[in-house]
Amino acid sequence: MTAATIGQARGRPTRPRRSPWSLVGIGAFLAITWWAASREFGIGFDLVSVFTNLTRGASILAEFFPPNWAYLPRTFEPMLETFQMAVVASALGCGLALPVSFLASRVSTPNFPVLFANRTALNVVRALPDLLYALIFVAAVGIGPLPGILALIFFNIGVTAKLMSETVDGVDPGPIEAANAAGGNRTQVVRWAILPQVLPNYVAYSLYVFELNIRASAVLGIVGAGGIGNNINTARKFFQYDNLSVILIEIFVFVFVIELVSIWLRRRLV
Amino acid sequence: MSASPAPDPSVRPLPPARRAKLIASLALAALIVWSLVTVGIEFDRILDLPRGLAHIFNRMFLENGPEWSFFPDAVGGMVESLQIAWVGTIIGAVLSLPMGLLGAKNVTGGVGSNVMRQVLNAIRAVPEVLLAVIIFIPIVGIGGTASAYAGTLAIGVHSIGTLGKLTAEVVEGIDPGPVEAARAVGGSPAQVQRWGVLPQVMPEIVAFWLYRFEINIRASAILGVVGAGGVGEALQQAMVFGRLERAGIIIIVIIVATILIDTASAWLRRRIIEGSGARRAMGDELAEPSLAGTGAARIDTDAG
Repeated sequence: MTAATIGQARGRPTRPRRSPWSLVGIGAFLAITWWAASREFGIGFDLVSVFTNLTRGASILAEFFPPNWAYLPRTFEPMLETFQMAVVASALGCGLALPVSFLASRVSTPNFPVLFANRTALNVVRALPDLLYALIFVAAVGIGPLPGILALIFFNIGVTAKLMSETVDGVDPGPIEAANAAGGNRTQVVRWAILPQVLPNYVAYSLYVFELNIRASAVLGIVGAGGIGNNINTARKFFQYDNLSVILIEIFVFVFVIELVSIWLRRRLV
Repeated sequence: MSASPAPDPSVRPLPPARRAKLIASLALAALIVWSLVTVGIEFDRILDLPRGLAHIFNRMFLENGPEWSFFPDAVGGMVESLQIAWVGTIIGAVLSLPMGLLGAKNVTGGVGSNVMRQVLNAIRAVPEVLLAVIIFIPIVGIGGTASAYAGTLAIGVHSIGTLGKLTAEVVEGIDPGPVEAARAVGGSPAQVQRWGVLPQVMPEIVAFWLYRFEINIRASAILGVVGAGGVGEALQQAMVFGRLERAGIIIIVIIVATILIDTASAWLRRRIIEGSGARRAMGDELAEPSLAGTGAARIDTDAG
């Protein structure tokens, strides 16, 4: 019996058969890609024009140099506004996201209708991009940093609550049981059994969101929602590419510094 | 032999000193208050907010709108946004894979990986909208297919930064065994990557690509606001000219399309990470796959 089995096992083992679904998947991927990139049905994307554009682009990119450094002092105030918008929006957005995330997790909210309603609302909030919120709030309260902050708050609730509710889903159930056994009510369970477990993650997510906000708030001004984006809009409308390059370099340095500080903070805190 | 006296069991131990934490919290609070006070929010305008929002909501969805006759055009714009996101994600995926491998310490090592990491960080630092506005729209131009083209390039280039960083991080976490084995049997550097590294990381990286696609849909939906193609162009026009009933139908289309694709993509990602059906019995129909383990939690935070 065994000898026969061993005899049969001579040579290489046969390859496992490919699932027919993987072929369907590859076919679908190629079809969608062709459809999306084609000139007839899609966006007309082809690699040849990348190169023709690169040669054309060189002359336009040359206009970015040298940067007009005389313009730099005039960007300090809007850049500060961008920073302040990010700070305020992160504080309010992450603060609001904390209770929302507890309401959107199975662990802290066993009541199914409440859970379902919250998750659906969160999905809708997350589906809209930040710049779209900015458009809506500019229409509602006029231009300035206020609509920008409001837009960022909604964007932050979407991101933070999603990440946090998943973290809450994954907590160790032991402390929750203990708190329940000691007679804690729902709020006490959340405060003493869940919150201490997820707090480090919450701090890390909040720092990430702050980094995101710095980048996001830099562009909100393009639709009139305050900050440095306003200057970007002006510079591009008047083809002042030398001013644009100053703003670009500034944002670049700013984002980089914030990210370094954030990484350092995260290492110390978490 | 002078043992310290045993602690009195009736006295609770003191909580650990928290001065550093207190100072940090105070500094943070001061920063927030300073920003809030000096950023120049007119507080009477906050009082206007509920009325303003109610007015807009009313005009978008209840009173005049949504303008259902614009539905086909809105869907057309959204389809273009999806195409931009799809092609942009492919550009990002194809270019980020070799760059991510080069950025991993256990593949390149030393100066090479550091330089590549900094290049990826630099690309990541510039948001898509900014890339479109500052670089690609001036180069490619606006109008016809040029707008979509600029948007696609902006999304593709920004995706290289985020995907490359995540790829490098995943590759740094692999089991060195298969790599050693591939070297030991005389594999060339390319063969070592192909047979020692890629099989270990591909499921997770493909999941990142799908996740990035979801994020890129949101990005491409707004790129039109700055003239880089997709549904955002129509939305911008509708908002500027006060045609809120038209903006209403466009917003509905964006929300529905985004949620549908998120759901499909989440299902696919779960299949890729967990394999077919085996561990689906974990319960909760509502739960999206946990991203914590896949690193997609990290990518989500790059949504901007």
